[in-house]
Amino acid sequence: MTTRDWRPLVREFQQVVGEKGVVWTPEEMLVFECDGLTSYREKPAVVVLPKTTAAVARVIKICHRANVPFVARGSGTGLSGGALPVTDSVLIVTAWMRTILKVDLENQQVVVQPGVINNWVTQAVSGAGFYYAPDPSSQVICSIGGNIAENSGGVHCLKYGVTTNHVLGLKLVLPEGEVVDVGGTLPEMPGYDLTGLFVGSEGTLGIATEITLRILKVPETVQVLLADFTTVAAAAGAVADIIGAGIIPAGMEIMDNLSINAVEDVVATGCYPRDAGAILLVEVDGLAVEVTENSQRIETFLYQNGARSVLTATDPDQRLKLWKGRKAAFAAMGKLSPNYYVQDGVIPRTRLAEVLQEIGRLGEEHGYKVANVFHAGDGNLHPLILYDNAVPGALHAVEELGGEILKLCVRSGGSISGEHGIGAEKRCYMPDMFTPADLETMHWVRQVFDPRNLANPGKLFPTPRTCGEGARTQGREQVKDALLF
Amino acid sequence: MKPSPDLEIKQKLTALLGAEAVSPMTEHGFRGEPWLVLPETEAVLATVLRLAHQNCWRVLPMGAGSKLRWGGLVREVELVVSLARLDPLIEHATGDLTVTVAAGMPLARLQEHLKSAGQFVALDPAYPTTATLGGILATADSGSLRHRYGGVRDLCLGLTVIRADGERAKCGGRVVKNVAGYDLMKLFTGSYGTLGIISQMTLRLYPIPPASQTLCLQGSAANLTQALLAVGNSTLTPSAVDIIANDGLGLALGFQSTPAGVAQQVAQFLSLGQALGLTVKPYTGPEIWQGAERVVCKVGVPVTAAVALAGLVTQLGGVAVLHGGGGMGHIRVMPEIMHLQKLRTFCEGVGGYLSILEAPTTLKETFDVWGYKGNALGLMERIKKQFDPLALLSPGRFVGGI
Ligand SMILES: Cc1cc2nc3c(=O)[nH]c(=O)nc-3n(C[C@H](O)[C@H](O)[C@H](O)COP(=O)(O)OP(=O)(O)OC[C@H]3O[C@@H](n4cnc5c(N)ncnc54)[C@H](O)[C@@H]3O)c2cc1C
Repeated sequence: MTTRDWRPLVREFQQVVGEKGVVWTPEEMLVFECDGLTSYREKPAVVVLPKTTAAVARVIKICHRANVPFVARGSGTGLSGGALPVTDSVLIVTAWMRTILKVDLENQQVVVQPGVINNWVTQAVSGAGFYYAPDPSSQVICSIGGNIAENSGGVHCLKYGVTTNHVLGLKLVLPEGEVVDVGGTLPEMPGYDLTGLFVGSEGTLGIATEITLRILKVPETVQVLLADFTTVAAAAGAVADIIGAGIIPAGMEIMDNLSINAVEDVVATGCYPRDAGAILLVEVDGLAVEVTENSQRIETFLYQNGARSVLTATDPDQRLKLWKGRKAAFAAMGKLSPNYYVQDGVIPRTRLAEVLQEIGRLGEEHGYKVANVFHAGDGNLHPLILYDNAVPGALHAVEELGGEILKLCVRSGGSISGEHGIGAEKRCYMPDMFTPADLETMHWVRQVFDPRNLANPGKLFPTPRTCGEGARTQGREQVKDALLF
Repeated sequence: MKPSPDLEIKQKLTALLGAEAVSPMTEHGFRGEPWLVLPETEAVLATVLRLAHQNCWRVLPMGAGSKLRWGGLVREVELVVSLARLDPLIEHATGDLTVTVAAGMPLARLQEHLKSAGQFVALDPAYPTTATLGGILATADSGSLRHRYGGVRDLCLGLTVIRADGERAKCGGRVVKNVAGYDLMKLFTGSYGTLGIISQMTLRLYPIPPASQTLCLQGSAANLTQALLAVGNSTLTPSAVDIIANDGLGLALGFQSTPAGVAQQVAQFLSLGQALGLTVKPYTGPEIWQGAERVVCKVGVPVTAAVALAGLVTQLGGVAVLHGGGGMGHIRVMPEIMHLQKLRTFCEGVGGYLSILEAPTTLKETFDVWGYKGNALGLMERIKKQFDPLALLSPGRFVGGI
């Protein structure tokens, strides 16, 4: 436990952000103990809520001077323990940095503070017919700062790309308190692409305090097709045929039988047949003439692959209805089982059927049910392992199964994370994907930005320990290192 | 005849690679008299770099050499390492729309191969017949297609690099979605060979669209600006939006879609333009990369200032193609410092930039090549120092003399 007397630091933070901007009573700090990966918890020493870049810089300078690690936190919806506090750390929360600083419709960009919620950006520009493309399912609560740090995706990233493809520039506070501007208002500026380097760095290279995002024009027509199949393999076959025919839909999502029943129990959409082996959602957009033509071709592929029925919708309310179950999938799992553990592996999409079968087999072998909801178009799987944390040893067993699944993804030529990040949770699998030289090269970047290892230490990079243990007690050794520095 | 220290370099390299693989670099115009080596495998490339590191030889990497003169003046180097022979296709995952190639693969050859599968790399860079993918990546060189498909940074999914110390390191992967580890692909894209030598890459592919057509309209600067903004505010989905300064100003839109989709979009653009008093202009892309005495610059300005920049280029007797969606593009002007200064001042005044790619040496000696105005140079220098502490790779070529 903490041995430091935090009062002098608290007073310093209070001078920067005011008394209300510093939280450090145990009760108030409860909500900050974990992020969306709730099985791991750790209390920060102090929580600070700055409002401006200058305040963030001063807070970080204080941390640097005192050799105290800090962890950035947006909305805390991350699923890899990225915002999980480190022992004896300062948690810098962006919840008071929620101003949209600038909207420039003509140049199709906005500048926001990091705490701005993802779908506020779309709301701010939708009146003029624009939107912000990356749309994680958590878009009503997750912050743009968190999206930047994780390089988040969404159901439409098949056609429109993930967060990194939509960020033009960043104002950063580096881990020693220096403020730099990277990128700008154009997609490429002279110099190294530090914007691209920062996106996806999971809070380990500093804190983004202003973010310039690209916005897009809302397409003329959008159509959703919902097909149900007797097997996941058949749905995957349809996905392969659609792509093979040269059509890139905005998104393609598959849910398996277990997930279908979970969402029908909870949101009762009535449009996902409970006896289906899988449903496939396809969204196409563009001009009406293109959408009509492509939808017809897609429908043919759906039936050719054994679709039992195909529902279509172009009207916004109808489309929403078809999407509703998919968007609620994670939440619904909470009803199906006391706990669930989400994985985020990626495989080449041509290997969907065989890998899903193998995941099913692994689940059986380990004695757990695995539901699958996934971004089929880009091979990003979200196996949800259902378990009960009250059963002693269950979490450990589930983590082991999760690890097997991730290793399977790597063996299949894929990745251990498509959009949730490595965080505290998956860092021990990094060596399955990367050689020591690969990791060393990444670490070079880390050393340049954060020579003292104070920004979100113990995340992303592996340490030679077992995974669960590494995640639960993470940070301690780094803190020790930092104090020894 | 070369002086003896150079002969020692040759001897060491010959012992490793055989006599054929090492030759004096002729017709280069570089300071010093570098040796040219052409490794045929990644392992040999790594060995060459390790040797260079041990002996403190400075190295200029290149592909086919089409853009060797881009950017800052390279300080003296002992070695030029060409990847022209490190060029195999490693994996074309047709169903996954990805391809993995060695860096020396020429874009043209790859496109030819992909065509049979109905796919392509969505890049239309400079020197498309000779440029290698490694060179395109190292210079982040893109063209009109960036409007729909993004730049090189948006297409690269994974990389293997040989570091300055000769170690092989990779980042990213071979799948279209992946956030494991830092995105070093972005760091290397556009780094002009200053951080390591790219040996292999995985790229995202796209299906070749069934139909495509380009329509160019001309008119006054004011009307073109209005048209450009109207296109941005419309539901048209062009794959290219180019403002062209070449014998007057034009706005060229490229469409790629189904035949019916293309026909309708062309018609819609035409009526949008006609309503603003624009008329059809035969489409000819400007000759950016031709002309004996030339300065070619990469520029960036906000879309709202793009037509004005094109107008200024015309006034100065140059040609330009600016990609309207993001406001980036290329201009060619005469080697007149005054003109360049004027153009740079304009670009910077609207939050943009002007960097020089090709120009006579004398001009590059007197005019800041990159025009970097930000506050992150210190950070960039620290990155360079970490990746290449002896400053052996492409010395002097990048921003701030990195
Ligand atoms: C129900 C549900 C559905 C989800 N669906 C998706 C989905 O479809 N796609 C997807 O990609 N993700 C999804 N997620 C995961 C999560 O929402 C995203 O990772 C999101 O980007 C996290 O944002 P946040 O504001 O909650 O960040 P947090 O969880 O607070 O933080 C995430 C990471 O970002 C860092 N960070 C936060 N702010 C900053 C900053 N300003 N500068 C630097 N670093 C910072 C933190 O240190 C941490 O490492 C889902 C999560 C849930 C709970």
